[in-house]
Amino acid sequence: MGAAAYKGAETTGFQSPAQDHVEAVPDLADLLELRRPQRYAVRVKGEGLRKRGIHGGDILVVNTDAEPRSGKVCVAFLHGDVVLAILTERDGQWWLEPSNDTPQPVSDETGVWAMIAALVRTDV
Amino acid sequence: MFGLIDGNNFYVSCERAFDPSLTGKPVIVLSNNDGCAIARSAEAKALGIKMGEVWHLSKRKPEYRDVVAKSSNYALYGDMSRRVFEVLSDHFARVEPYSIDEMFLDLTAFARVDYCRRVRDRVRRITKIPTCVGIGPTKTLAKLANKHAKTATGVSDFGDIDIRREAFATMPIDEIWGVGRANQTKLNDLGVFTVEQFAALPSASVRKLMTVTGQRTHAELNGVSCLPLTLAPDQKQTAAVTRMFGRPVETWTDMREALAVHAGRAAEKCRQHGLVASAMQVFFHTHPHNGDPWYHGQRSFEIEPTADSFAIINQAVAAGRSMWKPDTRYAKAGVILLDLQAQQDAPRDLLPTVDPVRAEKLMTALDAVNARFGRGTLRPGGIRQVTPWSTRANNRSSRYTTRIEELMEVRA
Repeated sequence: MGAAAYKGAETTGFQSPAQDHVEAVPDLADLLELRRPQRYAVRVKGEGLRKRGIHGGDILVVNTDAEPRSGKVCVAFLHGDVVLAILTERDGQWWLEPSNDTPQPVSDETGVWAMIAALVRTDV
Repeated sequence: MFGLIDGNNFYVSCERAFDPSLTGKPVIVLSNNDGCAIARSAEAKALGIKMGEVWHLSKRKPEYRDVVAKSSNYALYGDMSRRVFEVLSDHFARVEPYSIDEMFLDLTAFARVDYCRRVRDRVRRITKIPTCVGIGPTKTLAKLANKHAKTATGVSDFGDIDIRREAFATMPIDEIWGVGRANQTKLNDLGVFTVEQFAALPSASVRKLMTVTGQRTHAELNGVSCLPLTLAPDQKQTAAVTRMFGRPVETWTDMREALAVHAGRAAEKCRQHGLVASAMQVFFHTHPHNGDPWYHGQRSFEIEPTADSFAIINQAVAAGRSMWKPDTRYAKAGVILLDLQAQQDAPRDLLPTVDPVRAEKLMTALDAVNARFGRGTLRPGGIRQVTPWSTRANNRSSRYTTRIEELMEVRA
């Protein structure tokens, strides 16, 4: 923790013309809606979805309450593993297409955990 | 009309929400210090694991070889409880958290059963936690309906007199909220075993047998609401922080530090509720069952009303020092703050030894920093960060939802 929060009002020489205009930093948790109950952050491991712009080490903000949509990336529970997969619909059947496995039909055991809502990358 | 929703095997369900490898396996969650089973999956219950079973004594049984035992992860359970509460708050005008995994709902305005089913599905989808809902015209009936829902289809409505009557005939009295072991024995002696039999007793004899509290329970079972939905829970009377040590504490340095941490935490709890303590109890003792000689030191004393960490820590440590016995292996210590009251109601000393304004400013700053950057970021002097006596938690899962370095990993 550094110095006390700078408010701009306690100058020792000249009064700051900005003293009523000092604002907080932008709140990324607000932007990413991290306080909502359906929002979770997860960490990507592996490079299998680079073609979709998702790199290893990225943080994905996901929404467990979003409607599934064909062509979108989701987090799925697959054979006891947590994976990223592209969700597709063909003739009324939903499929999960993980980057390094064959497509799997969505069933009770193989389910969508959340849809991807946002991406955070800190080492650009 | 009241509803009571609770998470099925809540702690286990929180673990499973982030770990698909636990699906279908017998899973238990252990208490602080990896002591006893405090939550069990259906598979673990089916194996015969009991609530409170001491795990290190029974884990070698051959039938338990596939059991996954997790250390408790309260950071995770607390955050998942918040999520459940927030989803419910979207759907009901009032939600009263009763415990970490149970919440009372104000159902007055809604078509009950269908609506509750939909909300239950939504809680499941958002938090991954399966739940059951009990509905009733009183809190006691809602709670009993919730027990009934576990064996039925997840939602039971005791507002429906026929469903209620049928369930009462077979439900044992120990399922009733507020009927403890002692009352159960008394009632059994009178030949009362089912809820139906208990509800049919004359109110006056219930009062004679179980005092006015039992009479209230009895009235609630018969549909007379005595317990309103209160959004503000009863003011806390005590703030206790007590822990078993991960390994025995034998030096005063370690004990002093343990007492300081416990006292600091208890003071923080007080401040969270805007309360001050006017008495405290400090204790430590040896292990009651491992063959060590029994020693139990305990001091209870009045203090100047305060919630100041420094004042409380100093007095807890001084009390500990006065009863410290060397060459002893201590297994547990605790600090309990008593006679809590709202700051403005507390008697003021004419000549306080701590400047109350200055102390309060300091404590507010301390709590703000710790809330922002994690507990223990700022610590009163003399509390080390890594403590050798801290509790054992050998198999705790990640704090998936509250720590950026412990997020759930997804494979791409």
